[in-house]
Amino acid sequence: MNVTQAPAETRRSFLGRCGAAAGAGISAPYVITSKALGDATTPPASDRIVMAGIGIGNMGTGDQNAFLGRPEVQYVAVCDVRQKWRDDAKGRVDARYGNGDCRAAIDFRELLARDDIDAVHVATPDHWHAPITIAACRSGKDVYLQKPETLTLREGPLMIAAARRYGRVFSGGSQRVLGDYRGIVDPIWAGEIGEVVAVDVSVGGPSQPCLLAGEAAPADIDWDLWLGPAPWQPYNPGRCSGSYSTGGNTWRSYIDYSGGSLTDWGAHHFGGAIFAADLREEQPVKVTFHPADGAAAAYVSLRYPRGQELHHNRPAPLRPQEGPQVAHGNAIVITGDGRPREPKPVPLYRDGETSIYGDFLACVKTRERPFRDIELAVNTMTAPHMIGIAYRLERSLEWDRPTQAFVNDAEANRLLDRARREPWII
Amino acid sequence: MPHDAATLDAAFTALSSWDWGADAKPLTTLDAAVVAAHGDQALRADLERRLTALLGSGASRGAKEEACRRLARVGSAASVPSLARLLPDRDLSHMARFALERIDAADAAAALREAVASLTGPLRIGMVSSLAARRDTESVPQLAGLLTADAATAAAAAVALGSIATSAAAAALQAGQGDPCSSTGAAIADARLACAESLRASGHRDAALGILRSLAETAAGKPAARQIELAATRGILACLDTAAS
Repeated sequence: MNVTQAPAETRRSFLGRCGAAAGAGISAPYVITSKALGDATTPPASDRIVMAGIGIGNMGTGDQNAFLGRPEVQYVAVCDVRQKWRDDAKGRVDARYGNGDCRAAIDFRELLARDDIDAVHVATPDHWHAPITIAACRSGKDVYLQKPETLTLREGPLMIAAARRYGRVFSGGSQRVLGDYRGIVDPIWAGEIGEVVAVDVSVGGPSQPCLLAGEAAPADIDWDLWLGPAPWQPYNPGRCSGSYSTGGNTWRSYIDYSGGSLTDWGAHHFGGAIFAADLREEQPVKVTFHPADGAAAAYVSLRYPRGQELHHNRPAPLRPQEGPQVAHGNAIVITGDGRPREPKPVPLYRDGETSIYGDFLACVKTRERPFRDIELAVNTMTAPHMIGIAYRLERSLEWDRPTQAFVNDAEANRLLDRARREPWII
Repeated sequence: MPHDAATLDAAFTALSSWDWGADAKPLTTLDAAVVAAHGDQALRADLERRLTALLGSGASRGAKEEACRRLARVGSAASVPSLARLLPDRDLSHMARFALERIDAADAAAALREAVASLTGPLRIGMVSSLAARRDTESVPQLAGLLTADAATAAAAAVALGSIATSAAAAALQAGQGDPCSSTGAAIADARLACAESLRASGHRDAALGILRSLAETAAGKPAARQIELAATRGILACLDTAAS
């Protein structure tokens, strides 16, 4: 491809000079498998999407089963630092295909180095999400990533940049946003409560330090690789348990690996609420910390650019009943202004798919952005992350989206990210 | 009060013999004091002095790591010497960086640069990682020199230069490009793409186009560099779309 060119070039003239393969690789909707990116002498690509899984614990098993059940997927490899998860995951794949061909790896880099793998699904603990998925994008893999997609505010823009740079389909993984919350999504998008003015989300709080005593690590876990970029701490089964509890003795409870219930279940509840309120493309501008007052616990409120407010655990007596509401149990209450508003079509999964897994696979074929595109996921996750920071600092903040930093607050900006343990870098 | 002298004395006394599995009370006391130190320079300085003193004591690894976590919140230039002494320590290097990376003082960056010059292997990569996070422009010449080191170090240096994304960083990356099919070459190419994106976002479209066209030409016809070629092509299109809008 000749790229030397006179100054006044347009998209049309540039594409006209490019070879057909390069142009098609950029934008044409066809199945872009690794083999299809080859030159004219490469045999035609299979219609199957070749997939591998990284992190096959509790949620990873669910994701694996979902993809294994899809006829358009050829599942070829698994990766987990625990031998039992690795063996079980390989066993499921081998049983599906009736052979022993599935590769079981300890180190995700082995899978990312393979040219035959088109896409990976990732369900490791949260502290690994950014390093693995950024590397996956650089390796030309599409990514399906379990929620919460980020552990820190700084990771999100880097993940988005990697996805866009390499033209990757990158889906976040809350299957509940479109699945569980239609009871509030549909009436709001139909205009039944007018414009949204307030959102109340009730979910647990942020993660806590892990101070568990150390034990000898069992032989069937690569402890150093499990920790990865997180600070070294001695092995304890309570540090790395993948149980869904966030009350202690699970990695979801602890600040080095997770944002706690605030981001874990919060990814679902905030995800559903922010989607229902049509705020997925926005980020908060103001974070208000409300200190505890008598019997009322502290809570945090966010304000969005168009004035909507989102409250975390605002006590019920403090919620004004000033407009029509829709609710998802006690987890989400959304208040509108009651004024007439035109209905908007609800964004759905692609191609009539009924699951987020199908949506991802459809987008791998068409190269469209998925329902929970990484940019929408990152925007959504800014809410619980900022709330968590406000709780740690016990004060209010302002957020500047263009610079991705808190305004005039060096102390708060120290919490945007954390140093990664060598040799991991993003 | 979480921060009167007697309360802090008790907390630090407990922390001096603390280790993983012990009572969390001294740490929760310190965390409350850290919160209270916002806007209280005297309290912040007192906490910093006590925390850095613990780093030089015979306290456990766990206790020193917890001290580093809090220095990440309240540390200043005054903490740098104590933290810098831990950078060569295989057990404590990361947590020393955990604090240094967050301390907004020129001395912190200088300490990391000094460590880059004296360390090797993964510890050196850790220093590079923290310089990348700080977007430390003064480290560009040093990082440029690492582009010819071992593959892992060179890749880390490339990431750091891509994060810094100044014209000097872009020039260093271009000079060190090499074969984009190699692991180092691919890392350098990715960093150059990042530089181009930064230039385009800041309005320097022609400079971005220069990098992207160079990359596309370097990667052209090399199947192993296909992702880079396509990424560069996407970048060129984005620049052209910017010009048209």
